[in-house]
Amino acid sequence: MTPPLDLSRRQFLAAASLAAGTALLAGCAPGTASGSTTQTLQFWHLLSGGDGVTMSSLLDKVNAAQDAYRIRPTVLAWGSPYYTKLAMAGTGGRAPDVAIMHATRVPGWAPGGLLDSWDLDRLAELGVDESTFPAPIWQKGFAGDRLFSVALDAHPFVLMYNTDICDAAGQLDSDGRLRETSSPEEFLEQLRAVAGSAEGHALSYGYLGDGAQMWRLFYGLYAQHDLAIELPVGGKMGIDKDAAVEVLEFMRTLLDGEIAATQNDYGTAVAEFATGKSGMFMTGVWELRTMQNAGIPFDATMIPTLYGTPAVYADSHSFVLPHQSDADPQRRELTYRFVADMLKGSFGWAEAGHVPAYLPVTTSPEYDDLVPQAHYAEAAEHVVYDPEAWFTGSGSNFQGEFGAAVQGVLLSGDDPAAAIDRFERRVNALLAQPNPADPEGTWKP
Amino acid sequence: MTTTASTRVIVTGRRDDTPFRHAGPRRREELISWAFLAPFLIAFALFLVWPILHGIYLSFTDQSLTGAGGGFVGFANYAEALGDPVMWQSLWNTVWFTVLSTVPLVLVALLMAALVDRGLPGQWLWRLSFFMPYLLASTVISQIWVWIFNPQIGAANNILKALGLEPIAWLQNPDTNMMAIVIATVWWTVGFNFLLYLAAMQNIPQQQYEAASLDGAGPWRQFWSITLPQLAPATVLILILQVLASLKLFDQAYQMLGGVASDTTRSIVQYIYEAGFVSYRFGYSAAISYVFFALIVIVGVVQAVATRRKKEL
Repeated sequence: MTPPLDLSRRQFLAAASLAAGTALLAGCAPGTASGSTTQTLQFWHLLSGGDGVTMSSLLDKVNAAQDAYRIRPTVLAWGSPYYTKLAMAGTGGRAPDVAIMHATRVPGWAPGGLLDSWDLDRLAELGVDESTFPAPIWQKGFAGDRLFSVALDAHPFVLMYNTDICDAAGQLDSDGRLRETSSPEEFLEQLRAVAGSAEGHALSYGYLGDGAQMWRLFYGLYAQHDLAIELPVGGKMGIDKDAAVEVLEFMRTLLDGEIAATQNDYGTAVAEFATGKSGMFMTGVWELRTMQNAGIPFDATMIPTLYGTPAVYADSHSFVLPHQSDADPQRRELTYRFVADMLKGSFGWAEAGHVPAYLPVTTSPEYDDLVPQAHYAEAAEHVVYDPEAWFTGSGSNFQGEFGAAVQGVLLSGDDPAAAIDRFERRVNALLAQPNPADPEGTWKP
Repeated sequence: MTTTASTRVIVTGRRDDTPFRHAGPRRREELISWAFLAPFLIAFALFLVWPILHGIYLSFTDQSLTGAGGGFVGFANYAEALGDPVMWQSLWNTVWFTVLSTVPLVLVALLMAALVDRGLPGQWLWRLSFFMPYLLASTVISQIWVWIFNPQIGAANNILKALGLEPIAWLQNPDTNMMAIVIATVWWTVGFNFLLYLAAMQNIPQQQYEAASLDGAGPWRQFWSITLPQLAPATVLILILQVLASLKLFDQAYQMLGGVASDTTRSIVQYIYEAGFVSYRFGYSAAISYVFFALIVIVGVVQAVATRRKKEL
């Protein structure tokens, strides 16, 4: 490209650097679209891949639907690096207007003053209140009597199944859905039947080196005993060892090399199911899009209730207000509007596999036609989140610790009771530490 | 010999324009040199001295990444660190990795250099292929080796299967994951040591080999009696650099295990990162890093003493 006008090289460079400097300074100015009163809101989230594509299209929709605000998203890598950055931005007083957090990470954050709580009345005026959410999901947003997070979704750990393979194995009912099973023995029987008609294994379950995967299945099945792990501050972990051992033994049974591969990591399990080699797949709903793109015939359902109580391990992507020392009331107002707009427009979010938390969306007739999402929407009523503590939640070390303790059981048949004991010791060591966001332990919700 | 009083010519135009003209000539030179040093000194103070001092201060507080805390807690962090089994385990993992990786990184580099130096045909190709992996970023090599070590479809297990052996969950099995990281690390960084050895070998005068072969020394004898002794300084240098590099184990181990904290591969640097940036305990994290600092100082002193001994012998 030749520079326009008849400039000497030096003049051109000077002009160019001046222009660049001006642009740079303009970048520091608070974002206002030229000639209008549109406010730019900073929004941080950790959704990439298929989720990221869906999120972008939702944001485009809310941006296009009004001109009071414009969302400027910042996407950061999933997991602990995201939380580190968000915490540091808050500490440095440069927090975004609104951000996505996993609901399970909020309890560790709320005490540190990193988050501002939501004004319930203001939300209610916008049509967002207790009546528009499944009870466990709405409750999860509270610390004490203050609401710190508003869920966009629940993303449960579910069972996907290849309809052709399961049909060939005679495991579909008259509606073409997977036959229900209600005990470990029944489910194992079903899996063995499926193994006969699958080219690969009956079940794909990737867990190697992935504490989160082991934890998701374990805690879901543990909760089906109508139990929850207790993590009292400064106390000792409360866990029913018999139930925990029973679940671990069952998981080990699944990984016998016939039903599921003994050595399987997450990526390989995804590949096995996506290529139509296996009959079933235990995974998070976020893999839905992957399977649709793979073009295999499949459906999805809740992990079968094998121990009496329906329970589905899940987490939620939730909106939070990172603390701002002097929040601009107008921008705050627009942030509320944005969150309400997103919840009301979250039908599109279901396309990524997640169950929208906003009931008016999931109870709509259109949603019933959304398959397979509608087939596991019920999971939202039975969600079980991580036990509450400052060190638990998605992308936390807690799940890694669990994996480190129990992987030997699943991989090489180590003693499950010893593994649970080891996990208990590590968790008790974490419980003995104060929440770093509240080292003096003075915070009251 | 003409002794002219050496009049210093200052090439700065008019004398009045010289900087620091009020100072004497000696003083002025000093000031000028400080002026040249200033940019570096400022950066050095800002990015090294100050963080080191601030880190020591932090290690005596319960400062959190969230901005909370910050109160003085005396030696509580150090007491906790010294009584923390995970800290000791990470320290041991780091030392163990250093032992496991340093030996092959020196020996394999020596072997490679000897092969190339003794005139394997296609020198440029060997040099390139031995050194190439060293140029890759840790993220890239981690990705490559994660695939190689994949338990189902990885090349490593395909080789084992071809040999009629049982497949191994290389990176996930606590009995093998450290070895897997060592293998990947050797492949990745051996090229640097290889270059150092090769340079040292090519400095050995050719006449010595000629003289030796006239005396009837075969290639093995020549290597043993000429090459190896003359490589001693290079070996000392490589050992020092390698031990320090291995102690800093973090990125490839962290990435190859997908950020998972495995008890058998968690390095001390990873634990410092976890304490500070995952658990948000800056004070505690700082304390662990000074425990690690103490270890490095000990290693440094031992090495200094050992190499001085060698020189005296």
